[in-house]
Amino acid sequence: MNRITSYLRPGMALPLRLIGSVLVVVGALLPWATFVLNRGAYPAKSTLQYFDLPFAVTGFRLHVLLLGLAALVVTFAPVPGRGRILRGLGWGAVLVSAVNVLFIAYYGGGLGAVTVSEIPAFGGIVGLLGGLAVVAGAHAGGIEEPVHLPTGLPRPAAWAVLLVSYAGLLMMVAWTLTAGGQGGVANPYAGAQFLSFLGFAGGLLAALQGAGVLPWIGRLSEDHRPFSIVVLLGCALALPFTGAGTDYWMTVAANIGIYAATAIGLNVVVGLAGMLDIGYVAFLGIGAFVAANLSGAVAAKVDITLPFPVAAVIAAVVAGMFGSIVGSPTLRVRGDYLAIVTLAFGEIFVRTAQNNIGGLTGGPNAIPGVPPVTIAGTGFNEPITIGGTKLPSGVLYYFMIVLLVGLVMGIFANLKNSRIGRAWIAIREDEDVAKAMGISTGRIKILAFMVGASTAGLSGAVFAHKLGTVSYESFKFLESVTLISAVILGGMGTIPGAVLGASLLFVLPEKLREFSDYRLLLFGLALVLIMRFRPQGLVPDKHRRAELAGEDFEGRPLEESVTEQAHLPPAGAVLPGEARA
Amino acid sequence: MTTLFQQIANGVVLGAVIGLVALGYTMVYGIIQLINFAHGEVFMVGAYGGLATYTWILPRGMRGHWQITLPASMLGGVVVAVIVAVLMERFAYRPLRNAPRLAPLITALGVSVFLQEAVRLFYPDAKSARPFPAMFVGGGMQLPVPGGQVVLPWIRVALVVIAVALAVALQMYVNRSRMGRAMRATAQDRDTARLMGIDPDRVIVLTFILGAALAGVGGVLYGAYQNTINVDMGFQNGIFAFTAAVLGGIGSLRGAVIGAFVIGLIKTLGGQYLPGGTQYDYVWIFVVLILVLVFRPEGLFGEAEKVRA
Repeated sequence: MNRITSYLRPGMALPLRLIGSVLVVVGALLPWATFVLNRGAYPAKSTLQYFDLPFAVTGFRLHVLLLGLAALVVTFAPVPGRGRILRGLGWGAVLVSAVNVLFIAYYGGGLGAVTVSEIPAFGGIVGLLGGLAVVAGAHAGGIEEPVHLPTGLPRPAAWAVLLVSYAGLLMMVAWTLTAGGQGGVANPYAGAQFLSFLGFAGGLLAALQGAGVLPWIGRLSEDHRPFSIVVLLGCALALPFTGAGTDYWMTVAANIGIYAATAIGLNVVVGLAGMLDIGYVAFLGIGAFVAANLSGAVAAKVDITLPFPVAAVIAAVVAGMFGSIVGSPTLRVRGDYLAIVTLAFGEIFVRTAQNNIGGLTGGPNAIPGVPPVTIAGTGFNEPITIGGTKLPSGVLYYFMIVLLVGLVMGIFANLKNSRIGRAWIAIREDEDVAKAMGISTGRIKILAFMVGASTAGLSGAVFAHKLGTVSYESFKFLESVTLISAVILGGMGTIPGAVLGASLLFVLPEKLREFSDYRLLLFGLALVLIMRFRPQGLVPDKHRRAELAGEDFEGRPLEESVTEQAHLPPAGAVLPGEARA
Repeated sequence: MTTLFQQIANGVVLGAVIGLVALGYTMVYGIIQLINFAHGEVFMVGAYGGLATYTWILPRGMRGHWQITLPASMLGGVVVAVIVAVLMERFAYRPLRNAPRLAPLITALGVSVFLQEAVRLFYPDAKSARPFPAMFVGGGMQLPVPGGQVVLPWIRVALVVIAVALAVALQMYVNRSRMGRAMRATAQDRDTARLMGIDPDRVIVLTFILGAALAGVGGVLYGAYQNTINVDMGFQNGIFAFTAAVLGGIGSLRGAVIGAFVIGLIKTLGGQYLPGGTQYDYVWIFVVLILVLVFRPEGLFGEAEKVRA
């Protein structure tokens, strides 16, 4: 990358940016496919249109058009962080174009589908080149320091901004879920449309980040924390009322929620306390089997039926007890050896569950027929009507899981900043020093395992009731790997990271059905690539970022900030911090 | 009585396979303190490499001649395993040489899943177990034991002989040769070794190559005696091998081999005599693994015996 950008001169910036944005706009208006693909028109029948309907482009061509127009405006508007914004927009255009060109070529049987055949169709290639030119122009003009927008807004203004931002976030989530529709035979292009949308959304978000808007909103929500939490929760609960409110997406969203809560629990062990647990999914399994056995399922060994909240609490407690057993070797074992111990425990769980130990797990037959949770006679799996709006079935589970995830997030956000949380981080950074500081490391480490395990146990109870069937197959080693991937992709030690990671890892396979075989292959590859190129994950933790990526809190390389400190102001000068004090 | 001796024989054969894999684990750990979780997958890839050589490279007319098929398949398995191991070291582990310790382990996890899935998806019909040709003379060695006799098929005898011979050869190479000395020096202190004119990267690659070659041989022999291979075989046997390496004191070549035989015996005898039978034989090995890691992480033979690779 640096080798390429070194050829760029500042003088090329304006021409490259201008030509690039114009090319992107033109590309959006040109046809993209040379013939109607054999499984129906490629997304939204928009690909064969020429200039006859120049402003009626839809679907991904609309996305490309918007990106191009935005780049054109930013090229001439004197906004701060221009290079960063253009870089984001340019990459967005490149991604959208590349995804669609690749898919059209793939479905159309070769490059002919995107070049010349029945009609010439260079839209994709023009868009791709334009996007690259915008990126090059952004680099030629130099990438500025990150923009820092001031946050001292009056409360009503700040609240309004936050409301709008979170509403935007809700729309974004709903669009992302519905983009391309449900995958499968009926809609062969779902994967392409979804990836294309991700490219568009990624480009926009990168541009907003470059303009300093996203960090600004982040700081605003930090300043108005209680308000943000309420609004965010409200937005999550409002999701069923958007376009994503179908049976299918409620099921997917509920499953994501279960795994997100589990991933947050894992994040305590791996991210905060720095102990790699690669048999963690066993606790989800223990919780699920306990809840299944206590809920009057047909094949359950225990013949009692407890109300769901009681069963869930018992599941969490039992899983927590197993957590302390699995965690007890931490008193003597550290680092990679500990990881192997957890793997061994996980495997023992799977083997014993497979062998139907004590008749508790059903073995290969699983435990079917776990009854759904009911409240006032309404099963959580039934559709309901609120104020004239008919909501899809499973929506009550969705609400419950949103509240569960919210609760777990709240607990862990507080725990992270508590004495215990700091002790975990201290142990992660240096166990011997932590001990010397008076932390009783053994107890605190076992506590991490217990807390993580009971979170998984609680999720497991929901899992059992939601799915209705509990089988050891759901708790195999590869599920642990998936959870670890979620935590690492999202960013170790950060709570939003775990949720984001879990969402991505469970939405992507739903969307990319045609690649579902490659799911694990890509997970494995992703683990390798993330550890190599972005070990701090998508949402980096402040400390982690400094440690793993050599960057300071603001995302600048550490060496730079060290040299900045070396340029201390002359004696007698007033430091900005002192002026305020 | 015959059953006992039969199970002991089975345990020794399994131990020989595990030993070939465990040597790679222990050498890599000895040099760069990395649990190369993907090493079991190298073993699996080696088995598929051997099968591919037999199926597509060897002329059909030669299939009856074990003198050709067995060495050729082993060579094919070794080549594939070594290529995979070298690529894995170069592109996954080397960039993380100075990263925090959990990073390479997570990478190893990723490599392991990746290799397993890659073979499952791209090797023809690898989604279910593949039959593996017998490749060796039929019949078996008849061993008289109290109360009867135990028949040990010749392929299993060959397996044990080859495994022990390779382990002895490796031990001699590490102890006597110039590169072996470089390996031991790098294991003791990489920086000092560098000052002595040793290129640690070369030594590390060599370690991966040696480990992969042994695993490749092991994979092919495992296929030849089990007559079937599947993509899960690497994960299972990799865990066994890791347990063996830890049991013998990780970093020790002799310990790894002895540990492997112990694990082989635990699996077969545990499956025969412990409650739960063969359904629980894996569980016993994991229990042993946990107990050793917790109570005797330096291995059964202690620090003093430890000859680092």
